[in-house]
Amino acid sequence: MKTSEITAAQAGLIGCNTCSLLTHPVSMEHPGHCPRCGAKLESRRPNSIQYTWALVIAATICYIPANLLPVMNTTALGSSEADTIMGGVIYLYTSGSWPLALIVLIASVMVPLGKLIALAYLLITVQRGVKGGVRERTRLYRMVEFIGRWSMLDVFVDTFTVAMVQLKPLMSVEPGLGVVFFAAVVVLTMLAAVTFDPRLIWDSGTEIEVRPVAAPKGHPSVLNEKSHA
Amino acid sequence: MPESTLHAELPRATLVTKKHRRISVIWLIPILAAVVALGIAVQRILSEGPTITIILKAAQGIEAGKTFIKYKDVNIGQVTAVQLSDDYSKVKVTAKITKSAAGLIVEDAQFWVVAPRITLSGVSGLGTLLSGNYIGFGVGKSSRAQREFAGLDVPPAVADGQHGIQLTLKAAKLGSLGIGAPVYYRSLEAGEVTGYNLAADGQSIEVNLFVRAPYDKFVNAETRFWNVSGMNVSLGADGVQLHTESLVAIIAGGLAFDTPSFADGAGPPTGSTVFSLFDDQASAMKKPEANSQHFVLYFHESLRGLSVGAPVTLLGLPGGEVTDVGLDIDPKTQALRGRVEIVAYPDRLIGRLGEQQLAIGQTLAESNQERHAFFDHLVEQMGMRAQLQSGSLITGQLFVALDFFPDVKKAQIDWNLTKPEIPSIPSPLPNLEAKLGSILTKLDSVQYEAIGADLRKLLNSSDQVMQDIDQALIHFDKSITPEMKIAIEAFRKATLSANKMMQSTDAALLSPDAPVQQELRDAMQEITRTARALRVLTDYLERHPESLLRGKPEEKN
Ligand SMILES: [Zn+2]
Repeated sequence: MKTSEITAAQAGLIGCNTCSLLTHPVSMEHPGHCPRCGAKLESRRPNSIQYTWALVIAATICYIPANLLPVMNTTALGSSEADTIMGGVIYLYTSGSWPLALIVLIASVMVPLGKLIALAYLLITVQRGVKGGVRERTRLYRMVEFIGRWSMLDVFVDTFTVAMVQLKPLMSVEPGLGVVFFAAVVVLTMLAAVTFDPRLIWDSGTEIEVRPVAAPKGHPSVLNEKSHA
Repeated sequence: MPESTLHAELPRATLVTKKHRRISVIWLIPILAAVVALGIAVQRILSEGPTITIILKAAQGIEAGKTFIKYKDVNIGQVTAVQLSDDYSKVKVTAKITKSAAGLIVEDAQFWVVAPRITLSGVSGLGTLLSGNYIGFGVGKSSRAQREFAGLDVPPAVADGQHGIQLTLKAAKLGSLGIGAPVYYRSLEAGEVTGYNLAADGQSIEVNLFVRAPYDKFVNAETRFWNVSGMNVSLGADGVQLHTESLVAIIAGGLAFDTPSFADGAGPPTGSTVFSLFDDQASAMKKPEANSQHFVLYFHESLRGLSVGAPVTLLGLPGGEVTDVGLDIDPKTQALRGRVEIVAYPDRLIGRLGEQQLAIGQTLAESNQERHAFFDHLVEQMGMRAQLQSGSLITGQLFVALDFFPDVKKAQIDWNLTKPEIPSIPSPLPNLEAKLGSILTKLDSVQYEAIGADLRKLLNSSDQVMQDIDQALIHFDKSITPEMKIAIEAFRKATLSANKMMQSTDAALLSPDAPVQQELRDAMQEITRTARALRVLTDYLERHPESLLRGKPEEKN
């Protein structure tokens, strides 16, 4: 048993989610509140896997109309044109600006899809108790979490364009329904990334059995037969 | 304590905390997402109209995703794909029709490309300059749905729901007629030319036109159509005639129609009736000649001023026209002489007979033999001869007059020839100059003095007679005679100055470089030049309508 790989839960401790203070919980069942910042202590985020799955599935559903429906309706000189995300990418590519096409393709198509796949992969490995690759999976999770705030790029571009290009009756741009779904995908994957508890990766990754928490002296302790690891 | 030991050995109950398998509220989110997405999908599928394909000759600015199909300026569909047909000869346009318009897509619906069209009679499709071309749609009457259509090459000129009649004319050449050229009925615009194409045999042009209600009811199977394009200036033996229908017709060309009075009773035109297009109103409205007789005339004098189409008159009434003017070598004398072929329409003259002689006219009209006999009688007994006469002082145009000269040499008509010859006599005054000259010579040679002297002698002699009868008359004679002399002198002066005046008129009007003729010629040349410039402009505009907006592009070398 390597101490370096022991989890707080295995040691019967809980790290505060807010200020990271390592504390002895009142009990694993009802850990109480952080003595430093007063945040509610949680050994593991309750229902993390279920919640994350729900959000990932919702995001996946939204991903389909986000790509099929137009994100932008451009009306120029009487002719109106509806652009889907992929349509925009193809237009940019065929009109010669392939770097832009690449940016849009990565930011708007590949990143949301990659996030969904990454989250699904993390969830499945955690549920199956896969032990290897803990570091890699943790890094993947960090990446998903970090990238979340940048995937709204497309939505921002869309809103800016709509707000600025209002030269009626010559030209106007109106948001399409697709952008709503696109924003939903981004928000749902961000929420899913937040709901997912990365500590679950480590739980199955460490081979140590979860020990019952030895209650500190002077504190009443309610022991569980089974830990919530 | 055995009891307690036993007690201790008993297995301990395990406390199993039942894992909460309650389904979390969070699952509402994916369910909601699925419901919304499915709802949109279902709504899309339900609102999906039919997809049709239209085969066009060229794409003409049609773009996938940008071009709409419009009916009454309402979008009823959108082009989703533009491809070449399988054999690369045409363009296949795929379009999605909105569900609400699905019922319109029937067998005989029409599709055509609407592009800006600038013709001299009007500008159409200006909206497409901004919005791009679109596909126009014409409602069909059928109720059977169809999904494949052949696009029209030219938009139908007839707006939806307009009542009227579609007609086809056959013309030798198109002239300046274009699509949209007006069709007039008694100078009212009654329709327009909707299209034209070369007939299958390549020998004529088929012009399609539409006559709007209520004018359509004036079209029957015998209605005549003629060209009113431009200005119709005809210089004929009848004088100068200038005829135009309207300013638009001058520029853009046009047609006019009317039904001749003799064809009032004709039935309505059937779908297959093909009308012929006449050059002018006169030829269009001409009654068809049931009988026509060709003759040839030989003249030993100048035929200058005699043109094809010049009238042939009998006692001054038109009864035919000149069909050819040429030369001939007399087989007997080897002399070159003028040959004039004419066609006589006996019906016209017979139609002029009085009512009580209609029966005679009828037999003449019906029987060739009777008519030949009558002609023979006219030529042999009555001395009917052909003669060239001057029809117009100004233009010097000649026409053929058949008149009676009882004391000419006897002659006969040889009816066995394909074109029998009517004997001619030289024109008494082959040209006006000679005519006027001889009049003047005659006027000049009149012995006014002698007439005066004779008159005086006469008066003297009568004076003597009178003297015996009444003395009072002597006084009369003495006072009147000198005054008479003065009057005669004045008359002579007047004729001399008339002589001079006529000579100068002669010079002004008749010589080729006479100022009047010169000015007339200049004016006509100016009109020709203007017309040519207009034609160049219209041709250019037709090829480059964008130059109205952009100006003329610079010439590329
Ligand atoms: Zn804390």
